[in-house]
Amino acid sequence: MAEHLEKCPECRAAADEMRRVLAKTDVVKAEIREAVTSVDWEKLPAVIAERAFSASRKPERVLPAARPRAWLSALRMKPALAGLAAGLVVGAAAMYFALKAPGPRPGPGTGYFASGEFLDKAELEMARRNTLDYLEKSQYVLLDVFESAGEGGAAPTAFSSAQARDLLSRKKYLNAQLERDQIEMLFLELSQISEKMPAAELHKIRGFVEERQLLLKINLVRKELERGI
Amino acid sequence: MRIFTAIIGFLVVLSLGSGLQAQTTPDEALFRDAKLLVYDKSWNAALEKLAELREKYPDSPYAGQALFYKGECLSGLGGRERDALRAYKDYLRLPDAKASLIEESEGSIVDLAFELYEKGDASALRDIEVRLGHDDKVVRYYAAYKLSLVSDKKAAAKAVPVLSRIIETEKDPELLDRARIALLRVSPESLKSVEDRKPSPGSPRMLKIRIWNKGEKEPAFSLNIPWALADLALGAMDEDDQAELRKKGYDLNKIVNELAKSKESILRIVGDDGSVIEIWIE
Repeated sequence: MAEHLEKCPECRAAADEMRRVLAKTDVVKAEIREAVTSVDWEKLPAVIAERAFSASRKPERVLPAARPRAWLSALRMKPALAGLAAGLVVGAAAMYFALKAPGPRPGPGTGYFASGEFLDKAELEMARRNTLDYLEKSQYVLLDVFESAGEGGAAPTAFSSAQARDLLSRKKYLNAQLERDQIEMLFLELSQISEKMPAAELHKIRGFVEERQLLLKINLVRKELERGI
Repeated sequence: MRIFTAIIGFLVVLSLGSGLQAQTTPDEALFRDAKLLVYDKSWNAALEKLAELREKYPDSPYAGQALFYKGECLSGLGGRERDALRAYKDYLRLPDAKASLIEESEGSIVDLAFELYEKGDASALRDIEVRLGHDDKVVRYYAAYKLSLVSDKKAAAKAVPVLSRIIETEKDPELLDRARIALLRVSPESLKSVEDRKPSPGSPRMLKIRIWNKGEKEPAFSLNIPWALADLALGAMDEDDQAELRKKGYDLNKIVNELAKSKESILRIVGDDGSVIEIWIE
């Protein structure tokens, strides 16, 4: 072939072109390798979710249980409380706003009191905040597994049954607002997994979570909830 | 929440991980199948598998856990609360019951007892009341929280000592706020007494709001809540609504923060319709 190339200018040109292409391919491969290693795969789901939501400000979907109608909106339906919202929003012309030293205090109350409706709304808001926290912590647990799997299969450092149990105990308080069984079952399983998990099993979890983009999905749910704050 | 179903499916397999490496035994396979059915909410099919496991392999290490999952199935089916209660209680009696499942069973018993009470069985509250003295504080706290929600105020008041203790001793803000709301529901005076005992030099203690309709002497709306809950209540406002208020020149968070700084000040707003709103902090 070398002899032929020496004699045939057309084939020589084609061969040169081929070499150049192959050389460039090597460069591209190296770039891809470099790009891949530069990606923080654990943060990537959060980055994608962040970008997805910054592109669109309005929610496409609202979680019925996790995005309760907000305090003020709820007040609109309650005649007594509606006065507060109306008083604040109605035209400012006849309003005056004053910060002054207090005169005689209205009403006798020196103790605490609040209507059941108000407490229900406060609890609903609390559930929304706590759900966010709950999702965040479940991410940490999964990331813990990821890291352990990536570090030669050592037992997960902070990933313990105690963490899962803590999440389970918090989850109970959210059961009125969230589907009971599925989230709870997840951590029920987590709470029973031994800390002395073999490396092969850790890698299996990592593969499973990555394959199904679970962190990305949890991030998307979190973003939806966060936008309600 | 399909995410979780997916994770669970894998974790079920994973939790039996050591078994996968070796030969999967028939009882183990049966148990795994039953659990997967539980996660799919195929309660009846899961119950059948669990019954088969207990019948064919009564000495299996999974036979005990099967009782817990039986409780889950019966609870999920609805209308079989008493059977579910029995299954959980049977599991609790096992000498090798797992700590995490014990805690879970206790919580489920509290939930089921509450459901039965709501359906008219007042005696079911006994299962909640006895757990107010449980050694595990997670169980104790949850029982107190759940009891605070019952409509019988006399029964709900039994939760007061545990709720007060949470406020006195716990540091977790989530638990504290839940206990505050629960106490506010059943015994506001107990909450006041506990909060007054806690040192809080210089910081506001209470947010007060009154609304009077035009010409009326008594306020149409009154609210006195601990400062910590005021923050939660204001935070509950929808972002769009807050923006709407800001457009009108009112930022409630800012106003309340200003009031907190000036301590003895009072915000008074008179509406077009003659209604009067007063907000102040003590």
